[in-house]
Amino acid sequence: MAALTAAPARPRKLLASRKTRVGILYALPVVVYLLVLFVYPIISTLFLSLKNADGSLTLHWYVDALTGVNLSVLITTLRISAETALLSLVFGFILANAISRLRPLWAGLAMLIVVVPHFISALVRTYGWIILLGDKGLVNETLAWAPGAPYHLLYNELGVVIGTTSMMLPYTVLLLYGVMRGVDRGLLAAAASMGAGRVTIFRRVYLPLVAPGLASAGLLSFILSLGYYITPALMGGPNQTMIATLINQQVTKENQWNGAAAQGVLLLLLTLAGLLLVKLISSLGASAKKRSAS
Amino acid sequence: MAEFGVITPSVAVVGGKPATATGKALSVVALRKTYGDIVAVDEASMEIAAGEFVTFLGSSGSGKTTTLMMIAGFCEPDSGTITVGGRDVTRLAPQKRNLGFVFQQYLLFPHMTVHDNVAFPLTLRGVPKDEIRRRVGETLEIAGLSGFGGRKPRELSGGQQQRVALCRALVYRPPVILMDEPLGALDKKLRDQLQVEIKTIQQELGLTVIYVTHDQEEALVMSDRIAVMRNGLVEQFDTPRELFERPKTPFVADFLGAANFLPGRIEQHTDEHTLVRLDRSGGLLKARRHDLASGTPVKVAVQPGRLRACAIDDGFCSGTVETATYVGTLVRAGVRIDGGDAPLLRLEVPAGRGPVAGERVGITADPDDVNLFAGEQEG
Repeated sequence: MAALTAAPARPRKLLASRKTRVGILYALPVVVYLLVLFVYPIISTLFLSLKNADGSLTLHWYVDALTGVNLSVLITTLRISAETALLSLVFGFILANAISRLRPLWAGLAMLIVVVPHFISALVRTYGWIILLGDKGLVNETLAWAPGAPYHLLYNELGVVIGTTSMMLPYTVLLLYGVMRGVDRGLLAAAASMGAGRVTIFRRVYLPLVAPGLASAGLLSFILSLGYYITPALMGGPNQTMIATLINQQVTKENQWNGAAAQGVLLLLLTLAGLLLVKLISSLGASAKKRSAS
Repeated sequence: MAEFGVITPSVAVVGGKPATATGKALSVVALRKTYGDIVAVDEASMEIAAGEFVTFLGSSGSGKTTTLMMIAGFCEPDSGTITVGGRDVTRLAPQKRNLGFVFQQYLLFPHMTVHDNVAFPLTLRGVPKDEIRRRVGETLEIAGLSGFGGRKPRELSGGQQQRVALCRALVYRPPVILMDEPLGALDKKLRDQLQVEIKTIQQELGLTVIYVTHDQEEALVMSDRIAVMRNGLVEQFDTPRELFERPKTPFVADFLGAANFLPGRIEQHTDEHTLVRLDRSGGLLKARRHDLASGTPVKVAVQPGRLRACAIDDGFCSGTVETATYVGTLVRAGVRIDGGDAPLLRLEVPAGRGPVAGERVGITADPDDVNLFAGEQEG
C-alpha cells in the first residue's frame, strides 16, 4: 500500500524540476539582454565614477559634482523638473478631465490631437516653439499692443518650462485619461444623492479615485524631465543649464568621463529617490485611512 | 421600536424635522417626460404618505425608473411638480433634495471603508464626530453588519454591499428613500432574504420608501401600495390586495393575477349581481354588480386560482380537462371549453382534489372573484 501511494509523487517531482529547467531556458535571453545592456553599463558607470586618474578609488568626482557650479546645475535641474511636473499635471488634469467627459468618438479624436504632434521629432517641435515664442514670434506679434511687450519667452526658465511641459503633456494626459475613464460616474451621482455639492464630490470622491494616476503621472514627467536634453539646451539660457547638458559638455568638450559618470549616477539616484517618495506617500496615505476607519 | 429610540431624537437635529412626521411625505402631480416622440412618463400623479412602502411596478420601458429618477433629480421632467414634505423640489439639483437613494449597482465609494461610506452623508451635514461614530455603529448593527466597519467594499459580498448602501441611504434619515431595483443584481435566495430584511427595517424605523422593480412577487411581498405602470401611464395605484382582487384594467388583471379572459355581453342586473352571457359557450355567469348597460360587450377576467371545477351541469361553462400538472401544493389544469376554439382555461386547484386529464368538468367561480371590463378595452 505504501509503495502505491508513494509512486505518483515521484513523477510529479520530476515534472516540476523539468518545468523549472524549461522556465530558466525561456528566461535566459531576457536575463542575458538585461545583464549586457543594463546591468553591465550601470556597474561600469559606477566604477568609472569612483576611479581616480591613477586607478585608485575616490569620492572626488562626487564631491566635484555636488559643489560650486555643478551643484547649482543640479538644483536648477530639480527645480525645472518639479515645475514641469506640476504644470504638466495641472494642464494634463484639465485636458484629460475634459476629454473623459466626451462621447467615445470625440474622446478618441481629442486623444489623437494630443498625441499626434509627438510623432514629430522633439528637435523639430522645439524649433517650432522657438519660432512661436521669439521676440518677433507669433505670440509677441499678436501681443504687440500689450504693455511691456515684447515679452521674453525664450532663453530663460520660462522658455524651458514651456518647452518641457509641452513635451510631457501627452504622457500625463494619457495616464490620467485612463484613470478617469475608469471612475464610475454613478459614484458621483450617488454622492450627489446624499447631498454632496460639486466641490465636495470632486474633493472627496473624484480626486481620491484619480489620485494614484496623479501620482504616477507627476512622477513620470518629473523623472523624464530630469534627464531631458534637447529642449532645455535649445530654449534655455546659460542659467538654465540642466544636468544632461552638463554631462554632454563634460564628455564631448572636456573629455571628463569620470565626472560625467558621477553625475549620471546622481541622476539615477534622484530618480530612485523620486520613486521611493511616491511609494512612501501612497502607503502612508493608505495606512492613515486604515487608522481613521478602525 | 424601542431599541431604535436612541436614533430617533438625533433626526430632529440633522434633518430639521423628523422623517416620521405624519401626513404626506411626497406628492407627484401630472409629471411628464418625453424623449423625442416617445412619452416615457405621461401625466403621472400620486400621493405617498409618510411611513409608506410604495413600489413602482412595470416591465422595462414602462416609465417606472424614469419617474424615480425625476423624483431623485437625476432627470428633469418636461412638466409637472414634485413635492417632498410640502417643499417643491421639481427644479432642484439632486444634492438639494435631501432624499436617500439605493442603486442597483450599490455604488459604494471604493476608496472608503464601510464605516466611512456610511458616515459620508453625515459628515456632509456637519454632524459631530462622536455622534457620527455612534450613529454609523447603530445603523450597521440594524443591518447586521457590526464588525464590518473597517473593511473595504470590495471585501464584501454583493448582499453585504447592498446592505451597506442601504445603511448609507438611511443613516441621515431622509424623508423619503428611493430604491432602484436594489436586489436586481443578487441571486434568488439572497433576494428573498433581503426583501424581508428591508421590509423589516422599513417598518421598524418608519421609513418612507419608493421602490422600483419589475418583479411582481417582490412588489407584493414588500409594498403597502403598488403603482402598476405601463407605457408611461400609472394603470392603477392601490394596495396589493386591491390590485389582485379588484383590478381596474385588464392589464393589471393579467400582469398581477395572470387572469383568464372570456368575451361576453351583459345580460341583466339583479340587486347584487350582474349576469353575463358568454360568447363562446353561451353559458350565464354571475359577477359582482356592475354599472354597465345591458347588451354591453365585456371581458370577463377570473384568476386561475379563483376558478373551481364542479359537476358538469352546475358551472357557467363546461369542458374537458386537457392538461393537469402537479406543482407541489397545487394542480395546474388546462380546460378546453365546449363550443369554440377558445384558448385553454387555466385553473389552479389544491392538489388532491384536482381534476385528472380527460375528465369532463363544469367550471364555476364566486361572483366576487369575477371582474368585468368594458369589451372595447384591449387586453
